Amino acid sequence: MKSWLLQRFTAVYMALFFVYFIAALLIAPSESYEEWQVWMRSTPMALATTLFFFALLGHAWVGLRDVFLDYIKPFVLRLVLLNLLAIGMIVMALWVVRILLTGGA
Amino acid sequence: MRFSIYRYNPESDDKPHMQTYDIEVTPGMMLRDALLKIKSVDESFSFRHSCGEGVCGSDAVNINGTNGLACITPVATLKEPVEVHPLPGRPVIRDLVVDMTQFYHQYRAVKPYLTVHDPEPEIEYLQSPEEREKLDGLYECILCGCCSTACPSFWWNPDKFRGPAALLQAYRFIADSRDQATAQRLDELEGPYRLFRCHTIMNCTNVCPKGLNPTKAIGEIKTILLKHNT
Repeated sequence: MKSWLLQRFTAVYMALFFVYFIAALLIAPSESYEEWQVWMRSTPMALATTLFFFALLGHAWVGLRDVFLDYIKPFVLRLVLLNLLAIGMIVMALWVVRILLTGGA
Repeated sequence: MRFSIYRYNPESDDKPHMQTYDIEVTPGMMLRDALLKIKSVDESFSFRHSCGEGVCGSDAVNINGTNGLACITPVATLKEPVEVHPLPGRPVIRDLVVDMTQFYHQYRAVKPYLTVHDPEPEIEYLQSPEEREKLDGLYECILCGCCSTACPSFWWNPDKFRGPAALLQAYRFIADSRDQATAQRLDELEGPYRLFRCHTIMNCTNVCPKGLNPTKAIGEIKTILLKHNT
């Protein structure tokens, strides 16, 4: 139930963010790299972007966990794969945070 | 008309094979009639059937890749050669006869009967026409198994996932105004497997010979579960 809800909520958030992001790029594209940096580093945008990537990771976690539950029958193998997935996702989450904090520098 | 029929006798065959039969068809002939004709020329061939009019649900088979009832499938609508397989994912007992034990186990597990804690009424249980209307599209299920055996989630986890047929019946009793075990029914469906293995693939709705919509029923259960838990 919780994971199913998480999947729905993250999907809705990602869809909204995506529409906004594309619209912003189309309506008011950044003229230069500096302008882009200012836009991406503004507090609301930085928060929204961070939230987007966490929603993406949460969504992917539920989806891949579903695939494992459906197709990977041996318990030990499933446990190993889920752990690898979790580690991979934590790494990606930290990496995203680092990129967003340092602005990719 | 040419028919290619799945044949397998676990007692004598190493593996299943397809056997071809050429049968003369008559106008208005249903697939069940053709299977009966095949049986009359080859009595070693087995399949289940009973009422012959889409009510008992015995002759559910896989016809040209889609599950359906042989007795209400006109042969004129089928592409030649007509390939008939047993319901997918179920252990084959012989030819088109499959073991439906797990399917019935999942059906039994949703307690498909009214549970009432109050003392029984003197007369009948009363229900308004609106309350009764909620059961339309749910009670008509004949348990043929076309839906559950067309569901990939049921193929992968027939022991843990209830399957569309059982979940349709679970909702039939959750939606029933006379039933007093809604909370227990919902609690029983919690967890990642019993209900939530459904990924809205909708094969169930696609194949149901009675035109029912298990996917919608499953969606309704999820909504009720959401309200129940918050």
